[in-house]
Amino acid sequence: MAVPGATKRRWTWLDVILLALIAAAIGWIAYRVNTELHYKWDWGKIVPNYFFRYDAERGRWVINLLGEGLLMTIRLAVWGAIASAILGVLLGLCRVSNVLFFRLLGQVYVEIVRNVPAIVFVFAFFFFISGQIIPLLGVDEFLRNARTESPVLILLIDIFLSKPELLTNFVAGLIVLSVFEAAWVAEIVRAGIESIPKGQWEAARSVGLSNWTVMRYVILPQAIQKVFPPLAGQFINVIKDSSLVALISIQELTFAAFEISVSTTRVFEVWISCAVVYFGVCFALSLAFRRFERLRTRTL
Amino acid sequence: MTAPPTARPGFVKRRLRAVFDVAAFLALSAGLVWLIVRGADAMHYNWQWYRIPQYFIDVIDGELYAAPFLRGLYVTIEIVALSLPLSIAFGFAAALASRTRSVTAHFLNRAYVETIRNTPLLVQIYIFYFVLAPILGAGRFTAGILALAVYEGAYAAEILRAGIDAIPKGQWEAARSLGLSPYNVYRYVVVPQLIRFVLPPLTNLAVALIKGSAIVSVIAIFELTTEAKNLISETFMTFEIWFTVAAIYLVLTTSLSAVAYGLEARLKRRGA
Repeated sequence: MAVPGATKRRWTWLDVILLALIAAAIGWIAYRVNTELHYKWDWGKIVPNYFFRYDAERGRWVINLLGEGLLMTIRLAVWGAIASAILGVLLGLCRVSNVLFFRLLGQVYVEIVRNVPAIVFVFAFFFFISGQIIPLLGVDEFLRNARTESPVLILLIDIFLSKPELLTNFVAGLIVLSVFEAAWVAEIVRAGIESIPKGQWEAARSVGLSNWTVMRYVILPQAIQKVFPPLAGQFINVIKDSSLVALISIQELTFAAFEISVSTTRVFEVWISCAVVYFGVCFALSLAFRRFERLRTRTL
Repeated sequence: MTAPPTARPGFVKRRLRAVFDVAAFLALSAGLVWLIVRGADAMHYNWQWYRIPQYFIDVIDGELYAAPFLRGLYVTIEIVALSLPLSIAFGFAAALASRTRSVTAHFLNRAYVETIRNTPLLVQIYIFYFVLAPILGAGRFTAGILALAVYEGAYAAEILRAGIDAIPKGQWEAARSLGLSPYNVYRYVVVPQLIRFVLPPLTNLAVALIKGSAIVSVIAIFELTTEAKNLISETFMTFEIWFTVAAIYLVLTTSLSAVAYGLEARLKRRGA
């Protein structure tokens, strides 16, 4: 145990104990898996196959279920982040508004969404969306028209949104995810605006700027600087939370992993690789954001 | 309210505006409810709110029994009560590891926190249930509790580390110079002060655990959400049951949040 400040790292007796414990744990797990559970690992055939597989007919590698799931997760996260950012900024502005009506609106929305478990929100809201909003949007009709009229549009949908036959499914998942994440964005935006010192308001008001002009030219430019790091973290949260829409059968990475683990019974390999993929994406992003943040604060 | 208003309107005018705003908000909420009801009617949804109370408490032969909602609520609270101390223990171990000089302890701490923070809770629960539970020979309930505790432990670690960092350096130096051993420094000097710092954020951790406990319904632990799902498949009262369950969670989490807020306010008043 060290006193604060003494952070210089070195090899100590604690390392010996910890390394011994790690070795023992790995040994015990290996023993349990191989000897008692008789689990036959099969990384080579199963898992790489499910990301990409070799299509003998066409003579090239094509993307398979897990790969498609990952693509769906990324599309959901990107569009979900954009949509939740727009809605979240509006709600955040509501929360700091001068008008009680907007404050109430923002507060009730944020409190309800943030205090109900994500999974309950996803189930309840999805039932509402699939029953009432999706028919209203007319996605199916839109697709039918697009199919006959412009193959380019279908191609664009295929690239940027999802496979056309899964579009309804995708839109439903996207709405659930965005409405849910917007509450978190709203809190980040509110904290950012409230962190601007009161003197900024007073100074700007005293040179005769209107409320909106103060917000537009004085407060928001400073607030944006402050909310960038938490918003970047929020993007990682969107990626992680997008796994929840697997429960309403949106076919993203977790859903694909579940299906494959059931159909192939390669449970260990599939779930471990699913977790590794999420970790890879999120960790790489968080390292990139940290690096970017360091560069940004250095140039300021 | 951030922006100071241009010219402060009079008291009566302000009151009138507030009343008007609240009325407008209530009208909007009523409109939303009306839209949901109308939409449900269009789907020929049969509202049966009168059937909800019997799923809280059942009366059989004049005796009261806990029905699905109360049973589920009990299990939810049980999950939180079991995983909260565990997650604090994991968090404390990780926080201590980050304060040692040991290379391995540092690495373990980073690996733990980064792994938990960069993978979805849902996937972690599946890993615990499908991969770790068979290896450890644990049941689904244990797997669910462990998964939640390990997940929240990574967040508890950051809270506790910040709390330990907040204890003034002089406290450490004074304790050491009195000749206390590292264990006794923690036992008599650090932890008693730490508890005051971290009580409000740890209460928020309990709120997070209540919300997280709903996710273990995916491995069929019979807590509130699972009971709700089963009830829906029996009765098809989807709206009523999800609204009721959401309300139960809302009451639980907001009352705990209020406790956290009160603790924080008290801590501030005392000038800690």
